Amino acid sequence: MKEDAAKICRRLLDSREVDGVLGLEMVGNIPTPKVFAQADDLGRFEVEPVFPIVTLLRNIWPFTGKERIALVVRGCHELAIKELAKREIVDLKRIHMVGMACSEEQARTCRCLRPYPTKTDIGTKVKGVEDELAKSLRKMTLEERGRFWEEQFKKCNKCYGCSENCPVCVCEDCALEDCAFVRTEGIPPSKAFHIIRAYHVADKCIECGECERSCPVAIPLRSLQRMLADDIKELFGYQAGMDDRQSPVVTTLEDAPLKEESE
Amino acid sequence: MNYRSVLTTCPYCGCGCRFFLQVVDGKLVGVQPCKSDEISQGRLCIKGYNAHAFVQNKDRLTDPLVARDGRFEKAAWGDAVEKIASELKRVREKYGPDSIQVLTSAKCTNEENYLMQKFARAVIGTNNVDHCARLCHASSVVGLASTFGSGAMTNSSLEFEDAKCVFVIGSNTLESHPLIGTRIAKAKEKGAKLIVADPRRTALAELADIHIQQRPGTDIALVNGMIHLILAKGLAKKEFIDSRTENFEAMAASVKDYTPEKVERITGVPKEKLEKAAEMYASAPASSIAYAMGITQHTTGVGNVQSLANLAMVTGNIGKPFAGVNALRGQNNVQGACDMGALPNVFSGYQPVTDPKAVEKFEAAWNVDLLDKPGLTVTDAMNAAHEGKIKAMLVFGENPMISDPDINHVREALEKLEFLAVVDIFMTETARLADVVLPASSYAEKDGTFTATDRRVQLVRKAIEPVGDSKPDWQVVSLLARAFGSKGFEHTSPREVFEEAASLTPQYAGMSYDRLENETLCWPCPDKSSKGTPILHIGKFARGKGLFIPLGHIDPAELPDEKFDLILTTGRVLFQFHTGTMTRRSPKLEREAPEPLVEINTADAASRGIKDGALVKVSSRRGEIKLKALVGDRTAQGVVFIAFHYAEAAANVLTINALDPKAKIPEFKVCAVSVARA
Repeated sequence: MKEDAAKICRRLLDSREVDGVLGLEMVGNIPTPKVFAQADDLGRFEVEPVFPIVTLLRNIWPFTGKERIALVVRGCHELAIKELAKREIVDLKRIHMVGMACSEEQARTCRCLRPYPTKTDIGTKVKGVEDELAKSLRKMTLEERGRFWEEQFKKCNKCYGCSENCPVCVCEDCALEDCAFVRTEGIPPSKAFHIIRAYHVADKCIECGECERSCPVAIPLRSLQRMLADDIKELFGYQAGMDDRQSPVVTTLEDAPLKEESE
Repeated sequence: MNYRSVLTTCPYCGCGCRFFLQVVDGKLVGVQPCKSDEISQGRLCIKGYNAHAFVQNKDRLTDPLVARDGRFEKAAWGDAVEKIASELKRVREKYGPDSIQVLTSAKCTNEENYLMQKFARAVIGTNNVDHCARLCHASSVVGLASTFGSGAMTNSSLEFEDAKCVFVIGSNTLESHPLIGTRIAKAKEKGAKLIVADPRRTALAELADIHIQQRPGTDIALVNGMIHLILAKGLAKKEFIDSRTENFEAMAASVKDYTPEKVERITGVPKEKLEKAAEMYASAPASSIAYAMGITQHTTGVGNVQSLANLAMVTGNIGKPFAGVNALRGQNNVQGACDMGALPNVFSGYQPVTDPKAVEKFEAAWNVDLLDKPGLTVTDAMNAAHEGKIKAMLVFGENPMISDPDINHVREALEKLEFLAVVDIFMTETARLADVVLPASSYAEKDGTFTATDRRVQLVRKAIEPVGDSKPDWQVVSLLARAFGSKGFEHTSPREVFEEAASLTPQYAGMSYDRLENETLCWPCPDKSSKGTPILHIGKFARGKGLFIPLGHIDPAELPDEKFDLILTTGRVLFQFHTGTMTRRSPKLEREAPEPLVEINTADAASRGIKDGALVKVSSRRGEIKLKALVGDRTAQGVVFIAFHYAEAAANVLTINALDPKAKIPEFKVCAVSVARA
């Protein structure tokens, strides 16, 4: 896979379609984030492990000026970029996505329903995987479900990894950092911390699972997001990342309204 | 845009998480976790995510400063260094080399600590060199060396997750060692039993199967009580005791009268809880002990550590995976600073200065004459300065004006010095008292190595250029040594310093930067073919046989009386670190815990008419501070807790400078105070 990806990226750089490729480079035995500026640099290009590459893209975007950036995207990454573009946080015109389908094993690990992007340049599409935990939680009574999450949240030591690494956790003033919503009272934080985080990304969460992967105490946050996404789909017919013209259902876009027509 | 991701090691606690510093156009913009790092596995704590935030703070020291008429004036590097060298030479000539004390830093790299102790010994000519390990795990170094033969954490941090039982005593692990705490929480979820012994109801205690809330300063009685029950119930591992240990009978005799009833009287722990805990620990196939300052910071610190060693040996929980006696070291490189010989009684690799062979070895390597008499510890040195015996101090990155016990005493001691030089990244409370202050570079501005709590040596990599006109400490030491006209400090890179240190330090002998580029290595790593040693004492203890030590309960130095009727215990909170010089300049960390609080039990607050959030006065025989009360049930009745990070209400104004007689560690965890409405 990485050879195929490197080949495409090399072509993009050689043809000057893009100015840089955001990806991973093997440095020793450590896959290290890098912006590759030359085709010749791609010798140790890497696409594993799953990495919050869209979060990284978002973090460096303000510094990119006019540069055009290519990156290898998995299904979830592609949707995340669309959600960011809707909010004018990144500009699709300066982003080139190289689509990569995830392996069966990866899809299973992620409990991912759509382990492939719209256009697959690399890899072979595999079937989506149901989230069994979310399913079993649905079967519980509300009280049982509440207890389950309370037990999980008791482990939290407030690293903020779930929001730090989330590609779409983008509010400028973070409600999690507002004492009116979440008191600063040490650890574990109150339930409000988790509920507010989940709701604030509910209409843009593309279920990449980075919140769960980043959680040092393994709270199954992905299942929480899945259940929220199911509700939003059922109630409003809305699915994050799927339609770039559809306005988000929860987020208010204050200063930068969504474009009526995508150009 | 020039974007770089630089893999380095976290500068906060001893967990040793590696992450990528994010650099755009020469500026640090963030921290990205590293998925393939063994310790962190792509996860961090809040301090890790904010480890870039203080580095380019506007308060960074950018120029050398020399005090003139009570004010600091900027000076050229050459002049400032010359001033330090000439003052130290003057003091040495007048009062002798042992009138000078060097304090090194557990925040600095191994290379820097190696050079600092070499500077003290080979250039100044004194063994008066120590650092803040004295204040955290001096008891472990002494206690574990006497029982096992090696004073370090016995197993690796990775193993906690697969232990079958974890006994955490005197460690607020989820806050003070977050990425080890979270592994323990995961072990519990996988079915391990979790016992937490802590006078406070910490977040980890909330998750525990058993929370033992012992009175502060009664740990030996508690552990003796557990051993008593283990022997009585026939849960001891006789074969292990017979083949691997010595002096068992004497130890067994010493726990004989520690009946659950007696233990309950001393510790306040109900005997049913003690019985359950003893059985739980002794019957699991692999039980791990994790401990920290709650064990070490006592006048019985060494005994506390030895009692845990007794407990592990009685049950055979040592020298095997997922077990051990695990001292959780508090600073990013406090293990390394000890390894590198920044201690008054040993050269690097714990080679005693009293051993003629070791002296000969280092004399040959450094080409100087060396002393064979141990020097002064941090705590002894402050007393000696107070008595006028120490006349000058050179302090690298330590802040005793907040971190040491009885701060008023520390201030007097430092003010009595004829000369004080401080090398630091910020103008600390200690630096304010200095005659010369040199600006140091932070971890993000230099190469080197840190040694994590589990003896894991990892690279630190330079991500940005030194801030202002600051210099890495290794270059500062080198400049000072050259100002003395000394040879042996001509290294042009940390790599060269590491090579010299490794060649003289048996535990590091097989390590090199080339190897560390691709792997992390737990010492001992005696030769190039060694893959390191994550688990100590397999098959044989470092000292041969494990030594049981008979112990009995001894009261803390200061207990409550009528006037000072509460026990004060001190510690950390998750969001701040030590004296706050870094975390308090990191907005997201400061936001979470912006002010000092005294935690007080609801009943104690009610009887004093104190409401939650009210301003109170906390007094001890040494001084008083004012801060807000946090009323609740985190501390038991009779005990109050204050985090020591805050200069505006420094807990160490109150603490007592009573020391463990062997380790010279202060009793930060117990002193008597009174609390009243302010």
